[in-house]
Amino acid sequence: MSDKTQAIFTGDRCLSCTSCMANCPVMAAVKEYRGPKLVGPAHNRMHFSQEDIEESLNYCSNCKSCDRACPSGVAVSTLNMLQRAEYYKKHEHLRSEDMLAHGERMAKMIRMMPFGATFSNIGMSIGKALGVFSALGLAGERNMPAYASTPFKDLHKKIKQPSADKKIVMFTGCYINDNEPQVGEAFVKVMNANGYEVLIDEGFNCCGSPLVVTGFLDEARQHADNNVKRILDWKRKGIPVVTPCTSCSLMLKEEYHELFGEHEMHEAAENVYDAFEFLEILQERGQFNDKFKSLNQKLLYHVPCHLKSQAIGLPAQDILEEAGAKVQLADAGCCGISGNYGFRKDKYEISMKIGAKLFERVKQNDFDKVISDCGTCRMQIHHGTNIKPVHPIEVLAKAY
Amino acid sequence: MKISDVIVIGGGLAGLMAASVAASRKQSVTVLTYGSGSLPLASGTIDFFNAENPEVAIKNLPETHPYAKIGAKALDASAKFLCDVAAQANLPYHGRISAQIPVVTAVGTLKYSALVPESMDASKLAGKKKIFVVEISGLKDFYASMIVDNLKKYFPAKQFETAKIDLRFLGGRDITCMDAAQLLTDNEQPLANELKALNAGGDDAIILPPIFGVMGNFSRSAVQTQVKAEIFETTCLPPSPAGMRLQRAFMKYLQSNGVKFFENSKVVRGVVEGKKVTGVVVENVVREKTFRAHKIILATGGFYSGGIQMREFDNPKEMIFDLPVFFPTGAENWSNQQLFENKPQGFSMTGILTDENLRPVDANGKVLFDNLHVVGANLGGCDKIFERSLGGIAISSAYKAATV
Repeated sequence: MSDKTQAIFTGDRCLSCTSCMANCPVMAAVKEYRGPKLVGPAHNRMHFSQEDIEESLNYCSNCKSCDRACPSGVAVSTLNMLQRAEYYKKHEHLRSEDMLAHGERMAKMIRMMPFGATFSNIGMSIGKALGVFSALGLAGERNMPAYASTPFKDLHKKIKQPSADKKIVMFTGCYINDNEPQVGEAFVKVMNANGYEVLIDEGFNCCGSPLVVTGFLDEARQHADNNVKRILDWKRKGIPVVTPCTSCSLMLKEEYHELFGEHEMHEAAENVYDAFEFLEILQERGQFNDKFKSLNQKLLYHVPCHLKSQAIGLPAQDILEEAGAKVQLADAGCCGISGNYGFRKDKYEISMKIGAKLFERVKQNDFDKVISDCGTCRMQIHHGTNIKPVHPIEVLAKAY
Repeated sequence: MKISDVIVIGGGLAGLMAASVAASRKQSVTVLTYGSGSLPLASGTIDFFNAENPEVAIKNLPETHPYAKIGAKALDASAKFLCDVAAQANLPYHGRISAQIPVVTAVGTLKYSALVPESMDASKLAGKKKIFVVEISGLKDFYASMIVDNLKKYFPAKQFETAKIDLRFLGGRDITCMDAAQLLTDNEQPLANELKALNAGGDDAIILPPIFGVMGNFSRSAVQTQVKAEIFETTCLPPSPAGMRLQRAFMKYLQSNGVKFFENSKVVRGVVEGKKVTGVVVENVVREKTFRAHKIILATGGFYSGGIQMREFDNPKEMIFDLPVFFPTGAENWSNQQLFENKPQGFSMTGILTDENLRPVDANGKVLFDNLHVVGANLGGCDKIFERSLGGIAISSAYKAATV
C-alpha cells in the first residue's frame, strides 16, 4: 500500500502545519507536554546525540489522535514511541512501568499458583488500601483489573462448539483472556452462529502494545516476531486471525510494521481482522447470519481511538442497528486511559481530565448500555462514571 | 452494508459544509476524511471576492468561473447557512457576501472579510477613543508594540496603550493562542480581573490575541460582561482558535444530525457503473473497504491538499476518479515570478471544470458522472487566492452540490 510505511521514513513529510497540535488531547489537558509536532517529527529529525533528550516525550499517551489529524501521513505517535525506546536505553525504568508493561508475565505467574487469581485479587485490594500502589508509582485511585478465576484460554476448551469446516483463530488479547473472559465467550457464540469454529493458539504472546508504550521495544520486537510467525502459519492454512480487542488489532495490523518495518509483518497483517470488521466482510459476501432475536436496546457507543485509526468505518454500529438496537455515538473524544497510561500515578489526573467530557456524556444515562470495543476504555468509563460498559460483541451474542 | 444518500470525501471547510447542508435536508451522510482539514489552520473568516462591491463583481464573472455555475441563490443561501450553524454553537458571525468587515491581524494590519466571527469584527474600532493592545506573559507570536505601530497607520489620531498581563501561563511549553484559549476555558476570571484593572471605559477598545476558548463564544461573553470597553480578537498563527471554533461548530452540527464521520479514511478510487458512481474505496493499512452512496461530493482540497497532484510537469492528476484537470499549458503561463504583483498565478487556476450542477465535465463540456459533484478548492478556472474567493467558493459550491 502506497504511503503506509515504516514510521522513521514518514517524519520528513511533516510540514509543521500544527494539525496534530489542534487535535492532541494531552496538550489540551497539560501544559508540560510540548506536543506531537515538536516531540515527534521535529525532535526525531533534530536530536543529534544520545544525550539530547526531550523530557516531555513521556507525556504522549499513544492515543494516535495526531496520526489521524495529520494530512501528510506522518506516523507521529509511533515516532514518539521509537524515541521513548531510545530514552530507556540510557535510563532505568520505574517499577510501575515494568509492572504495567508486563501484565502477561504477571498473569502467567499468578495462574501457576493454586487459587492465584483469588489471592492476587485480595492482595490487590489490600495493597491498594495500604497505599502500596502509590508507593510503586501506580495510580492509587484506581482498581487494578481483577483476574478472572479461569482465563479464557482454559475456558475455551470447555465450550462445546459445533464442528465446522470454516475456522478462525481468536487472538484473545491479555485483558479478555485474564480479566473479561465473558467477552471471549460472546465472541465464540457469535462466530459459531456464523458457521465458524473458533480456535485458540496458545503460542501467541501479548501483542506488545503495553511494552511499546513503556519503552520495552526489544521485548515488543520478540513478541512481534513470534506472533507474526504464527499468524503467517495460520495464513498458509487459510485460517484468519480475528481479535475483539482494538488495540491488539491495531498493533498486529499496523504498528508492528510502522515500528519495525519488516515486510513479513505486513504480510501477516493481511490475515488479521478486527471482530466486527470480519463480520462485516461476511455480510458483504452474503455469508452473515442475520437471523437475530431483535435487540430492543438503546446503546451509547464510545468508539476507541485505536478503532478510529483503522479506517474500517463502524461495523459494530451498523450490525447492531441491523439487529434492532439503537446506537448513539458518545462522540466525546478520547477516554484518556490509553492503555496503561492512566494507570501511572503521574498520569492519572491527566487521564481523568481528558476523559471528563466522555464521563459527562455517559452520566446522562439515557441508554440501556454503554458499549466500547476496547478493554481499557471500558475500565476508564467504569472508573469515571460507575457505569459498567460491555463489548459490542456481548450485545450481539444476545441476539443469537 | 448500508447505502448512504451522500458520501462527502474531505473534511475541510467545503466538506463540512456539504455534509451539514445535506444532513439538514434529512439525507443520510457519511464523511470520509484523511487529515483533520484546514480549519484549525485558518482565521475563521470567510471572503467571497476581492472587489469594491463583491456582489456586482461576482455577477459579472465569465461563465467559466465557478461562481457562475454556483449562482447567486446558492451563494446567498450558503452564507446564511454557515452563520446559522455557527450561531447554533453560540458562535455568532457578522456579515453578508458584499460586507467588508475589518479584522485586526496578528501584526496589526486590517484585513477585510465578508463573514467574520463577532469577536473579531473590528468595525467599531474606528469610533473608539482609546485602544488598548494587551500582550500576555508567556504567549508567543503576539507583540503589542508592533500591532500598535501598524494600527497607527490606519488611525493616526487615536490614543494607543500597550499592556502586558500575567495569567500564570509561564512554566511548561511556550504558549500558543490555542493553548491560552484552552487554559482560559472555564477559568476566565483572572483575565477579567486584569482587564478591569486597565480602567478602559465604554468608549475604548481592548485588542487581544484570539484566546477565548475553542468552543463558541462562551469565554468571551464571560469576560465581556465584566469589562466596559469592547474586546476584539486578532487573527493568529496556526493552530488558530477561531478556525477551530468554526470546525467544532460544524462537527457539533454533524453529530446532532447523525452524520457518520470517519477519520484516517483515505479514498483511493471510485466504484463506477457507466455514468454513475456507486461507491468509493477506502484503503486502510491492510485492505480496502467500499462505502456506497447514491451521491458523491468530492471535497479533497485540490492542489493545496493533495486532491489534485502533479507528479509530472504539465500533467496534473485528480487522485480518486482521474477526472480531467484544467491547467494553463506552457511553462511560461504556469507562474508569475513576481509573487506579490497584482496578477493571478497560472498554477493556481488548476482544477476541475464542471457543469452548472458542479458535475465534472471533459474538454468538450460533456458531463462525466451524473451523481458526482466537485466542490471547494478542487474547482478550476480561477485563482482563488488572488481573488480571495477560496472560502466563499468552498461554502457556496458545497451548498449547491448538497442541494442539487
